[in-house]
Amino acid sequence: MFSVSPEVYSVLSVASRWIFAFFALMLLAFALIWHHAERKERKERFKNLPGAGTVGELIVLSGSDQLAEGTWFPVPREGVLGSLRSCDLVIPCPGVSSQHLDFSWQDGSGLMIRPRVGCEALIDGVPVTRRIGMQDKPLLHGSVLQVGTAALRLQLYAALSHTNRTFTPPVPFQGPEAGFGAPQAQPPVQVPAAAVQPWPVQPPMPPMPQEPLQYVETIQYTPEPVQAEPESMQPAPQQPAPARPRRSRTDRWKEDWSE
Amino acid sequence: MSKTKSSPRLRFTGAAILLSALLFLVPALKDGNDTLYLLALLVPCGMLLAGTVLARVFSLDRLILNVSLWICAVGIAAFAFTDPQAALAHALNCGAGMVVLLVGGILIRSMTDSLLTSVCTAFLGILLLAGKALSPALSIPVTGAALALLLIAFTSLLSRQGPISAAFTGLAALALLLFIGETQEALLWGITLTLLLFAADGRLIIVLPSLAAVLLVFFGAYRLFPGMSVAPSASSLNTLVSAGAIGADTLPEGIAAAENIPLFHRLTGHFGLLFAGLTALLFLPLTLRGTSVAVTARTRFHSSLAMGICLLLALRTFFGLLCAFEVIPFSGPDLPLLTSSLPDLWSQLFLIGMLCGISGRNDADLADDAHLAMLAR
Repeated sequence: MFSVSPEVYSVLSVASRWIFAFFALMLLAFALIWHHAERKERKERFKNLPGAGTVGELIVLSGSDQLAEGTWFPVPREGVLGSLRSCDLVIPCPGVSSQHLDFSWQDGSGLMIRPRVGCEALIDGVPVTRRIGMQDKPLLHGSVLQVGTAALRLQLYAALSHTNRTFTPPVPFQGPEAGFGAPQAQPPVQVPAAAVQPWPVQPPMPPMPQEPLQYVETIQYTPEPVQAEPESMQPAPQQPAPARPRRSRTDRWKEDWSE
Repeated sequence: MSKTKSSPRLRFTGAAILLSALLFLVPALKDGNDTLYLLALLVPCGMLLAGTVLARVFSLDRLILNVSLWICAVGIAAFAFTDPQAALAHALNCGAGMVVLLVGGILIRSMTDSLLTSVCTAFLGILLLAGKALSPALSIPVTGAALALLLIAFTSLLSRQGPISAAFTGLAALALLLFIGETQEALLWGITLTLLLFAADGRLIIVLPSLAAVLLVFFGAYRLFPGMSVAPSASSLNTLVSAGAIGADTLPEGIAAAENIPLFHRLTGHFGLLFAGLTALLFLPLTLRGTSVAVTARTRFHSSLAMGICLLLALRTFFGLLCAFEVIPFSGPDLPLLTSSLPDLWSQLFLIGMLCGISGRNDADLADDAHLAMLAR
């Protein structure tokens, strides 16, 4: 096919190699710009979707000094719960080890829990086994997870198919007054015992040993006379109620979905 | 009229297609070779087809795919000056490799970190390495495919069963690699294994014994097989430097005299150090993008796997460049995708396909979230 003379080719060959190097530099720059632009766009999308990648949230029912009651954590599909800062869910409570348990979401089942060696966890008061292949009870919407001294309630976003309660189909009201505006028959809700009483019943305190009464020297307490306060004292200012954690619109719709 | 600004994707794709055509047209003008004219038409069309249509249909990551296609095109062009028929054969290999890439991209979407996945991939990977160990006369390079399978098994075990079983599998593969004499691959695999363990479970009680085990295996292998450190090949720093900044039509004597010339050396000889260096630097955005994919993956399995693929590719590039410039005394592995070995090329394209598939899955998950958020508003 078409070819050029050797003189023309020698010039073309040298020039083309410099052009190739320039194009390669441009390609490198374009690739880096492309990556940077898409990364920025992805960050913006994540900023607009704060709940992206999570299946629900864990609400602290009882925690510790470092973990206030009412704190909530978004729950990713998979991760590790522990007291270490590198964990996906950080629970700084006594009794929670550095990497306490692994959790993973399984569609159609719920949030599966697998404690690490030597760690214990309870779901609605039932201890979770660690053996592989065992079908443990998963965490469902409303279930309470106990790790160490912390108790956490799971609130799922897609709770309609993973609820802790069993619903029966609604029965139409058959009464003679049935009509527009008449009260509708409410479907009976079967609530399992775990849902009614998510907290494990504390074992009764052991009876105090009956010891023979001994004579104890008592000190007579004589109250000092209380002076009447002057009426001109200003009433003490009322303490403002503690501010509730502010929740964004996205969180509100998640709650609606979960209900 | 308002002037619309073209996107970086369009600019990159356009420049890559134009340059890939020029890479074959210039040598074609020398002799009027039909094969090179055919390649000047086929390679850009293939890049355009794979980078746009296939990426769209199979929801693959376009940046990773386009950069990989460009590196494959450069690998084909490395043969263009001296052996047009070999260039055509390599182009056909790359074309078949695109199918392997698609298989990887589709497979990873349905693959989970189940025990079945771990057992099957670990068994196949160790079987390949053991087969090579039992029959040394087997000339087919199976190491790349075995490492790809073992990486899936390792990350699957790491995310599902925990770090200890994963570390045992990784160490078994490392010992086999050293036994069959694949020192560079074993080094890359050992570093990847340790870094993945550190990323997945950063406890010192896991990482330090693994690191100690890797060092112990290397020390033992060095004592048992003292000749495992390979002398530098004929194409060393001096011969690469003799190619100059912009290269020449004929390869320098040192490169041409070598029996099996790595594609990077061939590329340097023809197009110069500048072009070859910039091409090797394109692995930087590839690795950065892969890391970004790993960070945004929803499951630990996909995250670990994407990070493992990035580590393997980046470490291979790094070691390849170090060996090419005689910084470390090994003959060095070929750069990813710049290899004339068909199994290695396909296994690397398979890994890149999985990376693209994980990225596509991330995008699909994010789109689902955006749809739910839109419904809620």
